[in-house]
Amino acid sequence: MTVLLNETLKQTSIYLPVPARIADVREMTAYEKLFTVELPEGYSLNHRPGQFVEVSVFGVGEAPISISSSPSRSNGTFELCIRRAGDLTGVLHRMKAGDTIGIRGPFGRGFPIERFRGKDLLFAPGGLGLAPLRSLINQVLDERGKYGRIMILYGARTPSDLLFTDELAEWEARDDVELHVTVDRPDENWTGNVGVITTLFPRVQVYARNTIAVVVGPPVMYRYVLIELLGKGIPEGNIWFSFERRMKCGVGKCGHCQINHLYTCQSGPSFSYAEIKNVEEAL
Amino acid sequence: MSKPRVAFFEFTSCEGCQLTVIDSLQTHIELLDVIEIVQFREAMSEKGEDYQIAFIEGSCSRPGDEPKLREIREQADLVIALGACAHLGGINTIRNWQDQEDVRRYVYGDKADWYETYPARPISAVIPVDAVIPGCPIDRHEFVTIVKQLLQGRMPRIPDYPLCIECKLKENVCVYLRGKVCLGPITRAGCDAICPTYGDGCEGCRGLISNPNIESLKTVLEEHGLSMEEVRAKMTMFLSYQMMELEREAAGNGD
Amino acid sequence: MGFKIMPKAALPAWIDRLCADYRVVGPKPLHGQYIFGDIHSAEELALDYTTTVLPPKKYLLPPREELLRFEGSNAEPVIEEDAPPTVVLGVHTCDLHAIHLLDRVFEQGYADQHYRAHRENVVLVSIECLKPCSEHSFCKDMGTLSADEGFDLHLTDLGDDYAVDIGSEKGEALLEGLDAVRDATPEDYERVNHVMAEKWPRFPYRLEFDVTELPSLLAVSYHSEHWDELGERCLSCGMCTKVCPTCYCFNVVDEVDFTLSAGKRIRHWDSCQIDEFAVVAGGHNFRPTRAARQRHRFFRKGKYQWEAYGLLGCVGCGRCAQACLVHITPVDTFNELYRRRVLYTARRQEVHT
Repeated sequence: MTVLLNETLKQTSIYLPVPARIADVREMTAYEKLFTVELPEGYSLNHRPGQFVEVSVFGVGEAPISISSSPSRSNGTFELCIRRAGDLTGVLHRMKAGDTIGIRGPFGRGFPIERFRGKDLLFAPGGLGLAPLRSLINQVLDERGKYGRIMILYGARTPSDLLFTDELAEWEARDDVELHVTVDRPDENWTGNVGVITTLFPRVQVYARNTIAVVVGPPVMYRYVLIELLGKGIPEGNIWFSFERRMKCGVGKCGHCQINHLYTCQSGPSFSYAEIKNVEEAL
Repeated sequence: MSKPRVAFFEFTSCEGCQLTVIDSLQTHIELLDVIEIVQFREAMSEKGEDYQIAFIEGSCSRPGDEPKLREIREQADLVIALGACAHLGGINTIRNWQDQEDVRRYVYGDKADWYETYPARPISAVIPVDAVIPGCPIDRHEFVTIVKQLLQGRMPRIPDYPLCIECKLKENVCVYLRGKVCLGPITRAGCDAICPTYGDGCEGCRGLISNPNIESLKTVLEEHGLSMEEVRAKMTMFLSYQMMELEREAAGNGD
Repeated sequence: MGFKIMPKAALPAWIDRLCADYRVVGPKPLHGQYIFGDIHSAEELALDYTTTVLPPKKYLLPPREELLRFEGSNAEPVIEEDAPPTVVLGVHTCDLHAIHLLDRVFEQGYADQHYRAHRENVVLVSIECLKPCSEHSFCKDMGTLSADEGFDLHLTDLGDDYAVDIGSEKGEALLEGLDAVRDATPEDYERVNHVMAEKWPRFPYRLEFDVTELPSLLAVSYHSEHWDELGERCLSCGMCTKVCPTCYCFNVVDEVDFTLSAGKRIRHWDSCQIDEFAVVAGGHNFRPTRAARQRHRFFRKGKYQWEAYGLLGCVGCGRCAQACLVHITPVDTFNELYRRRVLYTARRQEVHT
């Protein structure tokens, strides 16, 4: 029988991670690596796109990392795209296939994908925001028939910061995906768009009331993208974000991830604009 | 795994922090199983130059110290400021408020011309520093913790919250309630509030927390009877260099 | 439900008996203030104490506790189910109400087994407060000046005797075999009623409005300039949150021994008033100003906890006010927000008439 990973938290301690094996490590950029993680026999992550796990290295600590792989491609493993940004991620970046890390979760409520069915989807990842969004995008692509148009507007700082370039190429090649990529600062080989992510929005025309927009990126990006989306007439309840906060415990106790009254780790990290437009600390 | 080779150096200081290191080596003898000390003038006569981690005690207080500091930086993979003098410039920086020529005459008398000197500064003002172990002297437990973190290949993390946190957890009587004053609210914790625990106000030897509310604390000090002059003296025993930096920043920010 | 009478003269013998079977903690004087600490005899116990520095919360959510012990990639949770049961004597009712909130926080959603183990291991003996602890306490406003549940035993000082209300079997067990304890008589009911009637007027109301209005007052005060004024003064020292009986935010850190592979995962109290509280790995601070942090604190106390758990996050103990070097107090803050609101409403009415 399969044990759901988050059910283990109810057994002895909500803070006890399950040991998991790093099956593969792939370098993506100078700062980001993609880890394929395998749970022990008999455990299932059973996540939704938009959820995250707490990743532990005993002796160093624990940090929240969004799940990058889609449930539709789980195959007994899942993927984490991890930027080297702090203590724990620095240590993770030195780990190799075969090493063991601890996993708790999945946490958060994820994106309400059922409500996205039949709609046109506009994905707007900025930088590392593609990591959580890739989970949703691939899920949607694996059940392509259930959705209308799929538009992806992806912004990165430089060409060498682009994540999942092989998948970008695949999406580019598909005629049922509209992909637009831009970089803030091009290099000599870059022939694509140059400019911040908002410069891509005039390139797509949407049927606003049938469109769901999902935006994930650095804090500074949200306000600007929001102006574009509202300007296109996309309803407030159709605009979705995923927020980064210090989700230390993942179980709604430690207080670090609060956005006013909301515990990001429990109520989020995905929120619709309608839900948070009056939550002052959100944007 | 080969043991990292470690060296200790001192500049303008009392060497009390290195004494605390020697003390830590006695209470945590395991340290010697995990590091190899190749140079430590205060504790041994060997003098290896092939070190990876350099702990530096003392402030830089004369131009002549700079080449040696750069040489250490050149050799070491990691440079750690050991104690308040190396971290903040320490009490040596009290003189920075005064006329440097007067100070030199006062200290060296008629031999003043023989000695070069300049305003004291933390070693980070001369060379890049990877981590600091604050305090006057350093806290031996923190030293051990930081060595472990270095061995783990992590950048050492020191608390960035004020002393009041540690002091309250010990249920000490607030120093202010005893009619004394204390820099606890703006000073970095990590010493287990040792001075307030023994009844004395914090002097700020571990340096300022990030974004301290200095103006508000000055008001508190004045409310507790300190004159402007005394407030300034209190704030500049260990914190001269940081205070002058803050003043420079404030002056640089327009108005 | 009936209550019991325990003569005060029986207290020393009772404490001795408790000490034989339990770890006993209670209020005791230390350097002119009171703290909760281990009690070995009735002499040490100061049941007529005023507020302690730290609340008895420390026995349920220790300031620093091991969550896990690990070696390599294996870990075991540390849950002290076998710890000696602890009797907490003399809990003021404000602190009792605070524990009630903590119970909800740690049981809701993912229940925290570490908290639960401490909680189940503790026997709470509360005491009826008969005089205000300090000029800062405002328990009467917050509705925490008495309690009819949540305790295992509850003492009321009747002069020569204690009236002892029994709240649970765990509490009742503390009295087992005590010959000096007898059932209350109708006269004892009169005595308790008399003490209670005399007690209420001794406590002033200090809020200028009824506490049921607090969540809605805060709701309309989010953008008040008063937060900026508090932010100017606030030292971000975090003392208010350390002494608070309802604060429970924590951080988790790992400590290793010299093998570097074995160690402990430690939970320790944290504070939303600290600059780095809402900083994420990349360095962005999601609550960078002191004003926003003070507002967050007061909103948790007066609004968020109420919405999430049905209980206010402030019990009126006055500890934070007592600790604050820059005189930021819940009473002054809430009253100031109220006055500004009243003034604002009055001005609007003037404009409309």
